[in-house]
Amino acid sequence: MSMGSFWRICASERLKMSKSYIWLLVILSPAIAILPGALSIRDGEEVTWGLLLSVMSVVHGLLFLPVLSGIFAALICRYEHQDGGWKLLLSLPVTRMKVYLSKYVMIIALLGVVQLLFLVCLLGMGWIRDAAAPVPWSILLFSVFGGWIACLPLAALQLAVSQGWSSFGAPLALNVSLTIPNILIANSATYGPYYPWVQPSLAMTPNGQDGFGAFNLPLDSLMIVVLGSLIVFLVAGLFFFWRKAV
Amino acid sequence: MLNTEVKNMKDMKNTVIETKDLWKKYRGRAAVENLNLNISKGEIYGFLGPNGAGKTTTIRMLLGLITPTSGSIEIFGQDLRKNKLQILRKIGSLVESPSYYGHLSAVDNLEVIRRILDVSKSRIPEVLDIVSLTGEEKRPVKGFSLGMKQRLGIAAALLGSPELLILDEPTNGLDPSGIQEIRSLIKRLPLEQGITVLVSSHLLSEIEQMADTVGIIRQGQLIYQDTITNLQQQAAGEMRLHVSDPIVALNLAGHCGYDGALREDKLIFSRMNDARVALLVKELVENGHSVYRVEEHRQSLEDFFLQVIGGGEA
Repeated sequence: MSMGSFWRICASERLKMSKSYIWLLVILSPAIAILPGALSIRDGEEVTWGLLLSVMSVVHGLLFLPVLSGIFAALICRYEHQDGGWKLLLSLPVTRMKVYLSKYVMIIALLGVVQLLFLVCLLGMGWIRDAAAPVPWSILLFSVFGGWIACLPLAALQLAVSQGWSSFGAPLALNVSLTIPNILIANSATYGPYYPWVQPSLAMTPNGQDGFGAFNLPLDSLMIVVLGSLIVFLVAGLFFFWRKAV
Repeated sequence: MLNTEVKNMKDMKNTVIETKDLWKKYRGRAAVENLNLNISKGEIYGFLGPNGAGKTTTIRMLLGLITPTSGSIEIFGQDLRKNKLQILRKIGSLVESPSYYGHLSAVDNLEVIRRILDVSKSRIPEVLDIVSLTGEEKRPVKGFSLGMKQRLGIAAALLGSPELLILDEPTNGLDPSGIQEIRSLIKRLPLEQGITVLVSSHLLSEIEQMADTVGIIRQGQLIYQDTITNLQQQAAGEMRLHVSDPIVALNLAGHCGYDGALREDKLIFSRMNDARVALLVKELVENGHSVYRVEEHRQSLEDFFLQVIGGGEA
């Protein structure tokens, strides 16, 4: 597979995205996370990075990251569904595999930007609230990176669904209905490790109050749930897109 | 019908599109049935048929957007299944309603395609100029009229300097001046740039004014494929002779070199000049036939088309 043509398709995708409101969504969740970060108070104790990370990542990891994975996928397919974009795109000299993967790369790149912005907001908040030095870089970076990794299968599933359904709302409804159970499952030691939609939250939340695990997801859960579902969803999506009648 | 002639034409020129026994079935129902298209280099091929006859389905197969149920497609002498990318690189297309990204301007729409085709940036103003959209290129396309979107679609199809242009109902929904504009644009392309054009329409008048060769499709079957000149000749009209003993008379006429047919007890001949009519009548009378009536029946191309589409003979 020649990479040149793949990056050209990506460049084309970037242009399609650039004039849309997708950027507002990228800022949304990190901006909202500022709120709990600014308001969290622990009586008499000084503000720690761990505290900031855990309060700021709750809504972000539990709700916004999984939901955004779906919204980005739906948006990236929407302008193809709307006015014959698939026909236009797929009658150009491109392979369906490259088109599909370029869309996937766009989604996970957007999620990557979201995570970077989250990190910036977290660092800013720590600086403003004078959190105890030094900055625990490895913990923060693993949290942000782990959250991103845990989103990869969700993005793959949502892309698979969004390319197949021309409706914009249906994939989002599916996504939200799979995300809502997070609220219950996040606290369940039995089901938590195996539910893909709760993995971003688990990956981002520091384990325990004092000592943090280096990587917040237990390795077997990461391997089985995240990697396994990523492969299943990505391959299934590619298979259906390959056979899609346009 | 005139398959041998078509075959000879094909051998003389270079074939750009050739489909063999092409089928597309949806749940057992055939949308395209045993289709054998033959399109030569540098010609405008008019693909004619009523709505729902299978034109768009065929075009989608030619572009690899859907896979045929059976049969083969060769474009530029290569198998579409094996060399899809090389083939598509040389095709510009516009399928059904115009495709575009509404939130982007005309220039950005073309840029999206240009980045994939990897052609020079200077092609964008060039193709905008060809379809006369210069001056409108910065507005979001969602505000364009249908005609402008259609023209943008043609500009997009031309962007990669294709050797083959496939335009599906390019004048659909346009006003008369827009139709005129697109028609003259399509007619110019083979002359100026040597492009082969496949243009579909459900209107005979459209095809008649543009195409060199016409293929008529009905209920998924190609029921007529020949040059537009031959089509016009066939539709030109016929002579009808009402005589006393038609069967014997037909035989006699055949011996004298008049190829005719019998319909409703009348002898039917293709149109001929006055001298030949006179000679035929003379032969008949001299051999003891009574000639009651000699009629010239003129048929418009439209009638002919409707007759073919109506499926009397297919």
